[in-house]
Amino acid sequence: MAYDSIANASIPTAANAKDFAKKKRANRSAKLKQSKLDARREQWLSQVKNKGSKEEMNGGGGMHVPRNERERSMENFVINPRREDNDGSMNHYSDSDSPSNSPTSHSSSVLGSNASGTNFTGSSSSRSSSSSSSVGCYSGTISEDDDGDDGCSDDWEAVADALAATDDKQEQHNPVSESSPEREHVTQLDSHQESTNISKPNPICVGMAVHRAPVSSRAWRPDDAFRPQSLPNLLKQHSFPMNSDRHYGRGGTAWACKNVVSAPTACPICCEDLDLTDSSFLPCSCGFRLCLFCHKRILEEDGRCPGCRKQYDFDDAVEGEATLDGGCLTVRLARSCSMITRS
Amino acid sequence: MNSAGTSTGVGGGGRSWPSRTSLSASGKRIQKELAELHLDPPPECSAGPKGDNLYNWVATLIGFPGTPYQGGIYFLDITFPIDYPFKPPKVVFKTRIYHCNVDSAGNVSLDILKDGWSPALTILKVLLALRSIFTNPDPYKPLIPGIAHLYLADRAKHDELAAEWTLRFAR
Repeated sequence: MAYDSIANASIPTAANAKDFAKKKRANRSAKLKQSKLDARREQWLSQVKNKGSKEEMNGGGGMHVPRNERERSMENFVINPRREDNDGSMNHYSDSDSPSNSPTSHSSSVLGSNASGTNFTGSSSSRSSSSSSSVGCYSGTISEDDDGDDGCSDDWEAVADALAATDDKQEQHNPVSESSPEREHVTQLDSHQESTNISKPNPICVGMAVHRAPVSSRAWRPDDAFRPQSLPNLLKQHSFPMNSDRHYGRGGTAWACKNVVSAPTACPICCEDLDLTDSSFLPCSCGFRLCLFCHKRILEEDGRCPGCRKQYDFDDAVEGEATLDGGCLTVRLARSCSMITRS
Repeated sequence: MNSAGTSTGVGGGGRSWPSRTSLSASGKRIQKELAELHLDPPPECSAGPKGDNLYNWVATLIGFPGTPYQGGIYFLDITFPIDYPFKPPKVVFKTRIYHCNVDSAGNVSLDILKDGWSPALTILKVLLALRSIFTNPDPYKPLIPGIAHLYLADRAKHDELAAEWTLRFAR
């Protein structure tokens, strides 16, 4: 039950509770919308999936708006990162949703917001102040969690699982090795149930899109690798410095690898990084790339391509010399050369 | 003096002025080659800066089994010009060797160290080329025509003399 989970996990972050309560009060209007949405989602879910006891519990809470609100504000301590995240995304829904609040439209908006993390971030930051304020309080919460994770360790692990799954999902393969399900007990079930309310339509959609998702009668299973897919990237970008670093790092390396495949990142002659002009500069038909400075230098001397030792194109050389007597007209040189090579 | 410190210090702002570019470029390039040599050392040879001057290197080559230079250790001086990748490095044998492509002063006639040089070549490739002239002398572009002549006329005699020189000078 939800209150049990609060009793278990919220003790270490008791000090944090006040901050949260404040922020929650600030978010009250958003909360109301959310709880309504929650209720709707619960209704739909109860139709779609087998009813677990937990779920019914939540559904009942969802009907009773003020109590649900209190519950939710308390539960934020238990599952703060995901909770917060969901808050943000829910604000997003409630603002941007179509009048027909059908679950499918929810799911589409979820997927849409997930399709590009940056998109989502931008929209949420430009959106209501409540979502941005909830963003603001992420890091503090998480660090608290890190410190006193004896009480929250289980939830923390669950969140970590979710994050790992999200990460892997973003890498588009590498099947997730979820942590053992026996670690997750009632608390998490509860919290997950709550937090995956948003993602409820998700497994179905994923099943259609990816063909890998186990389409089960239940919307969520402990080892469901696709469960956290609908968690927006905002969570990682704002609340987990390490995770976000890793995320960006991966993106960076991926980008670098792609670049290496297509073209060298550094001039092989002078070992300086190739800038945008350099990397689009292809002076010789053999495909040997070098920076404009080294190219100019070679044109001044023997004018042979370092890669194939053939003379650079005569037109090329003439053009280069003609534009180069000024001194710092290398950009023009670049243009002319690349135009020539393109034509 | 073009030590490592100079080259790294110039590296940032060097790109707008060609003269400074070449200075920094050579330093950076040589450092990168040094790092690559350390990372992935070529077989039977080594190279590195002599002292703290990045532009003066010493290299060693080991005479390969199956050649008359077997068992010899040959030291070479490598001097990088200031405009290095655009001009070839100067390689001089410091150990005497009986070879038609190496004169008594230790100068090497190697195509890629002269006209065949390309800025895309590296010291590693130069070392590999030097290694290959141990096994395959080029008697048609000799520095010492007598040795080349002997190599073509009487290979056994040539090998015998070369092995003798190896014993005398390279051990």
